[in-house]
Amino acid sequence: MSSGARTDPQPARGACVSCLRRSWLLGELSGPLDYCARDRQRLLELLALADGELLDALAGRRGAELRARYARFEAESVDESLPDVESVCRHAREYPALLDGVGAPQMLEVSAGAGRLGELAARPVVAIIGSTRASDYGMEMARTLARGLAASGVTVAAGFGDGIAVGAHAGALDAPIGASIAVLGGGLSVSCPARRRALYRRVTRSGCVISELPSLVSGRRWGGIAAERIVVGLASLTVLVEGEQTDGALLGARIAQALARPLAAMPGRVTSPLSRGPHQLLRNGACLIRGPEDVLELLYPLGTPEDGPSAAPDSHTSDRPLALRRELRAILERVGLGCDTPDKLTRAGIDASDALLGLSELEVSGLLARGDGGRYVLRHPFRSDG
Amino acid sequence: MLARAHTFTIQGLHTLRVSVEVDVRPGLPAFTIVGLADAAVREARERIRAAILNCGYEFPSQRITANLAPGDMRKAGPGLDLALACAVLAASGQLPGEGLERVALFGELALDGSVRACRGTLAVAQATAQAGLHTLVLAGARAREAQLIGDLDVVVAERLSSAVRVLAGGAGDPLPAPGADRDRSSQPAPISVQAGACAGDLGDVRGQHHAVRALVIAAAGAHNLLLSGPPGTGKTMLAHRLPAILPPLSRAEAIEVTRIHSLIGSSVHALAHARPFRAPHHSITAAGLLGGASSGSVGEVVLAHNGVLFLDELSEFTRPTLEGLRQPLEDGRVAIVRARHSAVYPARFIFLAATNPCPCGYAGELDRCSCSEAAMARHQRRLSGPLLDRIDLLATLQRDLATDQRARPLTSTRHARERVADARQRQAHRLTGEGVYVNAHMDPRLLELHVRLDERGQQMLGAARRGGLLSARGEHRVLRVARTIADLNASARVRASDLGAALALRPDLGLAASRIA
Repeated sequence: MSSGARTDPQPARGACVSCLRRSWLLGELSGPLDYCARDRQRLLELLALADGELLDALAGRRGAELRARYARFEAESVDESLPDVESVCRHAREYPALLDGVGAPQMLEVSAGAGRLGELAARPVVAIIGSTRASDYGMEMARTLARGLAASGVTVAAGFGDGIAVGAHAGALDAPIGASIAVLGGGLSVSCPARRRALYRRVTRSGCVISELPSLVSGRRWGGIAAERIVVGLASLTVLVEGEQTDGALLGARIAQALARPLAAMPGRVTSPLSRGPHQLLRNGACLIRGPEDVLELLYPLGTPEDGPSAAPDSHTSDRPLALRRELRAILERVGLGCDTPDKLTRAGIDASDALLGLSELEVSGLLARGDGGRYVLRHPFRSDG
Repeated sequence: MLARAHTFTIQGLHTLRVSVEVDVRPGLPAFTIVGLADAAVREARERIRAAILNCGYEFPSQRITANLAPGDMRKAGPGLDLALACAVLAASGQLPGEGLERVALFGELALDGSVRACRGTLAVAQATAQAGLHTLVLAGARAREAQLIGDLDVVVAERLSSAVRVLAGGAGDPLPAPGADRDRSSQPAPISVQAGACAGDLGDVRGQHHAVRALVIAAAGAHNLLLSGPPGTGKTMLAHRLPAILPPLSRAEAIEVTRIHSLIGSSVHALAHARPFRAPHHSITAAGLLGGASSGSVGEVVLAHNGVLFLDELSEFTRPTLEGLRQPLEDGRVAIVRARHSAVYPARFIFLAATNPCPCGYAGELDRCSCSEAAMARHQRRLSGPLLDRIDLLATLQRDLATDQRARPLTSTRHARERVADARQRQAHRLTGEGVYVNAHMDPRLLELHVRLDERGQQMLGAARRGGLLSARGEHRVLRVARTIADLNASARVRASDLGAALALRPDLGLAASRIA
């Protein structure tokens, strides 16, 4: 990309020089931004500043040098190692309309091309956020939620950290037509951890991974916070699945409130520290989410979605429980009640070999999954009418 | 004059027949040993000279050349002394040479002419019988060990002079009384834990019924078992109770185990009756576990042959050590190749491992587990893949159940042993003539033949396969385990409940499946 981009307001790759320059500047100021990230609110305020103000606020002793380079800035050739990556700036057609606002990123690098992002953002987008240290319950719920939504043609947006975000992407990819948008906290080339590379490729196949930083800027802590604002900004609805009642865990919810976007949360046990975040939101008026149906109801208050390739909700949630035999239902019910290991089921009065048979049948039919420490978790909210 | 004697040298677990040729001719007095002898054999010259003189014979002051054939194999150890000394005496005309042709001689000489026993006597006796030599002359201390091999005339020679008398057609020395073993203090500890000696009864295990059931299944079908659970839930306690519920060794197995005992230097007086139980510490090296640390040394996997290899804190073992287990787990033997020797050792054992589900051990308990996702992923990577693929059963233990004092034990060792023996008998009966005796060793052809699922079972297996819960190898494992569970239930058919239990016990690491996205 060595064209004379300086004079071209909208270059071929969908990013104009001023937006590329903003992205470059954020990369250069990554260190000071990370320092400021101790105060999340201040970081978000800084990110809303214009380039000049940002330089004034953060450049410090490097001010003169950075200003000189800023003035001379020319779009560099893109990183060749990621062939499909394209840049989308806020002036481009593909830039998600919902994201545009004060403090929004000026430029996004998109792993699967600009067109893909435009396409995905044109559908309804739901952000699934939550703790990076999630319980097996939270992971299954995030996964079920994302799968149901993706199967109904909704785009799932989530970060790319551990925990709930991973569950959300995995769930969206479980659905046959599912797609998700993953937001990285650093450059696309360098900030994806090795253990997530497979997921990166799978997400890119049908959805896309995006980042507001140039592809060679490594991820830092502030990037995670900035990514959260993009995740929430992309979505018309934000669902908090699991999280403690801390500033960090509730950051996404705060951003959604600031943007005046609807907020929803999935409840958990009141005894679990990871349920405190969602419960706090629910108490303050967030919508209660028990499964994908509840989200779809919020998105389409009048009934079924008008657009989207598939109007049918996830087959797992509605069809299967109808066919369940009585003894399997009994086991499912008990697992939901907390008798979630073979030994506990036996002590609850179920014969040992019946318990193992039932657990295996429920697992192979996708109603139970293995959780941590040999426990089983329900993959779908238990419904007595089913 | 030329004389030839027969003896054996030990190479790891194998014996090598050695022909000792001694030539004595006029010339400058010298004693040369050729034929790739190690230091212990070269030092034999001094022992032999002193022993011959102290027994009242004459050491020829001529040129003596001893050749150890075959010349291209390394000979080690002092066991060749007796044969060398007798060959020297025969070559110098102090002993009729014909006597040497029909016997094997095995022993180390002391300077006063007495004969000392050497490690590996049982293997040497076995090899002597196989080589068609009908008599083995050796020290009294290990004579009972050699007598365990029938079909062999074991003659005791406590002194070099006794050996000379035997070779001239006389009688041997009397067999020493049992327990009159002189070199007992220098012996390594016996390699098996006696059943029930240090391990308690299965009836001591309160609660954890799921894990106890898995232990019995593992014993019944010789399946490899992984115990996963937080610290203090009884993983090690359970593991130590496995050998006692295993069936006793068959005679062929007992000879194999005894032979290994003998080769690593324990003195044995009877065939082993307890299954070996080896529990090496996690600081063990790959060479220590697999063998080959020094030339010919055998590893823990070999010492666990026909028994149990228990690796506690599996995730603490180094990667190369665990990777090295793949071959023995797959083939039941381990091939060690080093610069100077290569050997294949038997190593068929029940692999029993215990691990924490995550580095801190409390996965699933949010208020206690302090592991990040990255730490859990690292923990999983260390164990997953090829090693986990060779484990048939996973039993997870829970903490809340471990502390329940009201819980009753599921079974006693005696009862479990009976059930296991019963199940083993069914397997042996079914697998007659197939070359395998237990379900764990059934190949896909035998699985096809002996594991017939009912309709419900087939549906479950199909659903598991479609749902990505089972790989092809995993499916075979589940079927083997299901067959064992059916055997424990004394059922000829594999019912859906047997398959269900096998599926519920199929291994992973005890961490949520959704974390591995």
